[in-house]
Amino acid sequence: MGLFDILAGRRRLARPAPDRLFAMSTAYVTFQTELALRSRGLAGIVFQALATADFEQIAKDMVEVVEGTSSDSGTTVETRDDEYDYRWMILRDPDFDDLVVGVNAVSGALEAGGYGERILCAVFAFEDANGRPLYWIYNYKRGAFYPFVPAGDHARDNERELRLKAQVGAELPLEAELERWFPLWGIPI
Amino acid sequence: MARPTSFGKDTGLQLRMTLTLFLLGLVYAALVGVVFASGYSFLLVFVVGMFLVQVFASDKLALHAMGAREVTPQEAPQLHAMIERLCVQANLPKPRVAVANTHMPNAFAIGRSPKKATVCATTGIMELLSPAELEGVMAHELTHVQNRDVMVMTIASFFATVAAYIVQFGFFFGGSSSSDDDGPSAAVVILVSLVVYVVSFLLLQALSRYREFAADRGAAVITGRPSALSSALMKIAGTMDRIPQRDLRASEELAAFYIFPPHAKQSLMNLFSTHPPLEKRIAALSRLEAQLQGVA
Repeated sequence: MGLFDILAGRRRLARPAPDRLFAMSTAYVTFQTELALRSRGLAGIVFQALATADFEQIAKDMVEVVEGTSSDSGTTVETRDDEYDYRWMILRDPDFDDLVVGVNAVSGALEAGGYGERILCAVFAFEDANGRPLYWIYNYKRGAFYPFVPAGDHARDNERELRLKAQVGAELPLEAELERWFPLWGIPI
Repeated sequence: MARPTSFGKDTGLQLRMTLTLFLLGLVYAALVGVVFASGYSFLLVFVVGMFLVQVFASDKLALHAMGAREVTPQEAPQLHAMIERLCVQANLPKPRVAVANTHMPNAFAIGRSPKKATVCATTGIMELLSPAELEGVMAHELTHVQNRDVMVMTIASFFATVAAYIVQFGFFFGGSSSSDDDGPSAAVVILVSLVVYVVSFLLLQALSRYREFAADRGAAVITGRPSALSSALMKIAGTMDRIPQRDLRASEELAAFYIFPPHAKQSLMNLFSTHPPLEKRIAALSRLEAQLQGVA
């Protein structure tokens, strides 16, 4: 926001940053080979479900779009509202690239419907060699990824997250400001 | 497709706000001119010191005055998670989160910049409101943070403070200086200061009301639920009337940063209040809801 925006109290919701989502597809190769991370075949996209007339229709259309975009394996989509009234669109597909494409199709459909700024984030679920869950969260407003490793009740494994940051390096566009590594508790995937 | 870009835009409000700031600047320029011409400029040095203390120490003082305490994510997981999501949505760094242990349902934000900000909710408001309503209130406070309202109001009221000091000092030392008269006399300085103080007080109150409207609007834009904030405001207002006066431990200065003024007595004197009347805020929010629904 510029000085004039501040003085005039002007508020606009940030539009999604330029799309860097597909960096996830290429980074996944490194995840598998060097970090021993495995996709759990699940990804979610989180957004505010507005109570407007056309929103539900757009949401319904999105499911069809996603199920249509996957190559052959067939992505399945599940919709769920969480305790904070945010809607999760959960994509399930053993093929990781299809997940990324599917998430992109959902955000694309929301943007085409004029609701692009309602998207909170996309979440990709992984597990390490010991089967512990680990998430990469894509913040649409910032166009950047950050790791999230939950460790029990409202606690996170910061050490592991920072190590992941160092290990991934330039593979992914990472969120530079650590205070914006917002946790998402109770991820349903 | 046209709706989201126009949703939440209010050119009229921005114009009124800019005009108010312009008038304030004009009034202050007159004050500074008179003070410098009179040779009492040493007063300014003193008040600049006061101003810096206000800017850098006010956060802790305000939190302390409210009996608020910073809480960790473990202590208030719901509140933290809600604010985190709103921050992602508003593209803000996460502020510190504090809770004040009082039945008075209220919330406020302080801090001179988004990175130093603290948002505070009372235990009363968390019990009173539903999650969606509380979300609207917190989004309102985060918009104050994003608009840097504390800084804007502190700077805007700086010269009003100067004028107030001059008037007070004037009554102590008034008329003692009968030296060579190159510039305006002490009496003129005091008189100008008094006028500046009164005029800037009214302008500041207007500015504060405009910024409340802007924060309501910002909250509606962030959450996409203007009606939730409306219902929260009505609930708070309803309780406010029933809460006894002795619960008002907040100082007058803090009132501007509340979501709802603690002493709203349906005042006839709109001119003198820091917050717009409830009906006007509700009306503005329902216009937003209509915009969102694509009706208007």
